[in-house]
Amino acid sequence: MSLSAEPIVSINEVTKDYHLGKVVVPALRGVTLQVHPGEFISIAGPSGSGKTTLLNLIGCVDTATSGVVRVAGKDTKQLSERKLTDLRLHTIGFIFQSFNLVSVLSVFQNVEFPLLLQKKLNASQRRERVMALLEQVGLANHAKHRPNELSGGQRQRVAVARALVTQPQIVLADEPTANLDSVTGQQIIDLMKAMNRERGTTFIFSTHDAKVMTHANAVVRLADGKVLDRVTPAEAGVALAAGGH
Amino acid sequence: MITLKLLLQVAFRNLFKSWVNLIIGGVIFFATFLVVTGGALLDSIDSSMSRSIIGSIAGHLQVYSDKSKEELALFGAMGGETDIAALDSFAPIKAALEKHPNVQTVVPMGTSGALITSGNTVDLTLARLRALYRKNTAEGETAERRGQIDSLKQHVRQLAELLQSELATRRELIREDQVDPADAAALERARSEAFWADFDKDPLGSLEFLENQLAPQVADGDLLYIRYVGTDLASFQKTFDRMQIVDGEAVPPGKRGMLLSKFFYEEFLKLKSARRMDLIKEARDMNKKTIALDPLLQRYVKETSTQTREIVFQLDPIKTKQATARLQDILKSQETDLSRLLSSFLTVNDENFDLRYKQFYEQLVPLLDLYRIKLGDKLTITAFSRTGYVQSVSVPIYGTYQFSGLEKSPLAGAVNLMDLVSFRELYGYLTEEAKAEIAQLKQKSGAAEVKREDAEEALFGEESSPTLVAEATPGLINDDEQVSANTAALRSEDMLKRVYSQKELEDGMVLSAAIILKDPEELNATLAELARTQELKDLKLRVVSWQQAVGIIGQFVLMMKMVLWGVIVILFVVVLAIINNAVMMATLQRVREVGTMRAIGAQRSFILSMILLETVVLGLAFGGLGAGAGSALISWLGNVGIPAGTEELYFFFSGPRLLPTLGANNLITAFALVVGVSLFSTLYPAFLATRVSPVTAMQTDE
Repeated sequence: MSLSAEPIVSINEVTKDYHLGKVVVPALRGVTLQVHPGEFISIAGPSGSGKTTLLNLIGCVDTATSGVVRVAGKDTKQLSERKLTDLRLHTIGFIFQSFNLVSVLSVFQNVEFPLLLQKKLNASQRRERVMALLEQVGLANHAKHRPNELSGGQRQRVAVARALVTQPQIVLADEPTANLDSVTGQQIIDLMKAMNRERGTTFIFSTHDAKVMTHANAVVRLADGKVLDRVTPAEAGVALAAGGH
Repeated sequence: MITLKLLLQVAFRNLFKSWVNLIIGGVIFFATFLVVTGGALLDSIDSSMSRSIIGSIAGHLQVYSDKSKEELALFGAMGGETDIAALDSFAPIKAALEKHPNVQTVVPMGTSGALITSGNTVDLTLARLRALYRKNTAEGETAERRGQIDSLKQHVRQLAELLQSELATRRELIREDQVDPADAAALERARSEAFWADFDKDPLGSLEFLENQLAPQVADGDLLYIRYVGTDLASFQKTFDRMQIVDGEAVPPGKRGMLLSKFFYEEFLKLKSARRMDLIKEARDMNKKTIALDPLLQRYVKETSTQTREIVFQLDPIKTKQATARLQDILKSQETDLSRLLSSFLTVNDENFDLRYKQFYEQLVPLLDLYRIKLGDKLTITAFSRTGYVQSVSVPIYGTYQFSGLEKSPLAGAVNLMDLVSFRELYGYLTEEAKAEIAQLKQKSGAAEVKREDAEEALFGEESSPTLVAEATPGLINDDEQVSANTAALRSEDMLKRVYSQKELEDGMVLSAAIILKDPEELNATLAELARTQELKDLKLRVVSWQQAVGIIGQFVLMMKMVLWGVIVILFVVVLAIINNAVMMATLQRVREVGTMRAIGAQRSFILSMILLETVVLGLAFGGLGAGAGSALISWLGNVGIPAGTEELYFFFSGPRLLPTLGANNLITAFALVVGVSLFSTLYPAFLATRVSPVTAMQTDE
């Protein structure tokens, strides 16, 4: 694996507090993390450890309480709401745990949606791009179906296609396999892995499934809002296995 | 453009996605339907009423004196006629108005009211008898006239007998001492053989006795209030297309005369039994009512069968016999009392009504005077002139007329038309000719010239109001002379034959003038222009639209419009609340979808337009359906018509049926309103949707 010098995501001493009424709940307590382009990183940890919060900060859907989050070279704290939205649209792709497809749109339209928001391509270019991706995820002949006509795995494949259609630099996936059975989950991970290989897209995904972690270049382990360590999957697997017993 | 396409796609697909949308759609459908049909109905009523009011009396505009204390009310106002100052001469007003390019015709007018007495049966019979005796004195007696006199005398004797039997009935019901002994004595004398044996010794004296003593005991004479519009009848008939002569003929140009309103003629001057029979027939034929079920019709039947006196009183002995025989035949009865026969004949029900109605008109009516005043008769109208003395004018009745669309309205349909000359006389305005005549009479009788100031002094006491003099029209309205009844009577025959020239008609006083416009669309502009004209200001004229000029009736339409708009406002407040709530719920259901779109990169403006556009699409789709359903209903009603079940409706519908039409403006208004209100009620939920954080997309709640 060749890593370029500039990290695509750079997080420095970041804290994030949530306010539940008068109680302040710290979700992240000083996290520092660098992700380089082309990495396939898994963020692991028990629930409540801050996985989703970290992904939210990287995905520019939320801002840190303190510290610096830089995505694609931009300090997210300095950006307006509009600019953040643009950054998400052009730089980041999202894969959600519960797929989050727009139920009234067809498979094709769901995948096309970000392209329409981008307004960069004309209709035939969009069509080409979308169909090529659907081909890759194996759903070319489901293009006209509605999400509710698909199985969970198929839906997540549509979501993967949607996340990749704008050719983003980073794809964030929050527990992408949690709602799928292990075989289907495996297929999704394989798909993401293939995209990572072919396109060099950076993938950051959270999971608590040890089997899923084994595919990552690196596993960032979180606990109580802090980075425990950054290890190889093998080490993580051992550690998890040890912890499991 | 691309985004719009996507938004539309999302919006359309969302239409049937959520039951909430169906609720919103239903509400929008209902609201549009209501606004379209309500608006179309009201507009149709408004336009048909406008047409009949404009085309019957009001014209598009009316001018009247700016010195008037009250506003012009052509159809009358609460509490009678309004106080309108007189305009000295119509000619300069007409000339000034006709300078405006949009003015087509100007018609002179004046509205007033007076009391008339139609006379009771005894009076009428005695009057006929008196006329025959007069002729006898003038031309000598003929056998034929003697026969007529004897028959009429018989009739009067019979009337006395009828009164006697009524008195007997009354005695059973009330205490003896409540019957005036003088009345009883007079009746006794009128029934005595001696009275009738001596009748011809002093026929006029005997007649006077009967007129003074017997006639007042018969209480079927009516004192009627009659409203009339004095106008240039020829010009009026040409100008107002709603006016139709029903019976008789138009008043010849330049002659004195009156046309009675058909409604007034039927309602107040027709034999009451006949009128009630007509009303029952109309209710049954037109409105499909039945006597068995309708309390009003039952009341009519009861009144007709019990109040037979007006018929019995009219019949002289020969006709009484004929009527009795006919009724015995119809009813297969041996009864000899006409009252009882009539009573059972007129007790009609749903089964025998049509036959009885036919028999009534074929067998009974030919024996009767159907109307108290016949066409061709002269009607004596007595009115208080503007300055307070009594003025009496005798006007021939040429015919009856109606304003189509207003024929049943007691308010607008009961206006009678009178020639301008008679109107001016009743108003207290003297023609040059009348003034000359009075001067002549005065000279003959050696009466001293009374100065205006002195006359007022004499009439109204030492401190007379100077304003009265100032406001009367000096030199034209002769307010210090009283023309004696005798003088008037002497003049009347001549005056009826006279033909007045157009100049005479136009050079005199009027109260107002109706203006017909060439282009009615320009009504408001013309009104404003006329009001600015210096010439009209110099003439001290006030220009008003027909709505203002008709008084109460103009307010009816306005009130109805206000009620409808009130309903619409309430409706839309409700619609606003429902849609607001529903869109709120729909938005809450879609928080994750909105969050996902935001996370993927949709700006807030995209979310806002998405939610708003969905409402617009909903509005257009369901509003379109509602408008379609409304249009279908209106066009169906436009074909079959809505029957005017009651007289009030007949007036509002301006005819027996309302044929509503749908204007493009109804549809546009309804659509714009509904879509506007829906959009407005979606603004807040849509704004809330833009505040949905993209973080929501990441939350797992499954």
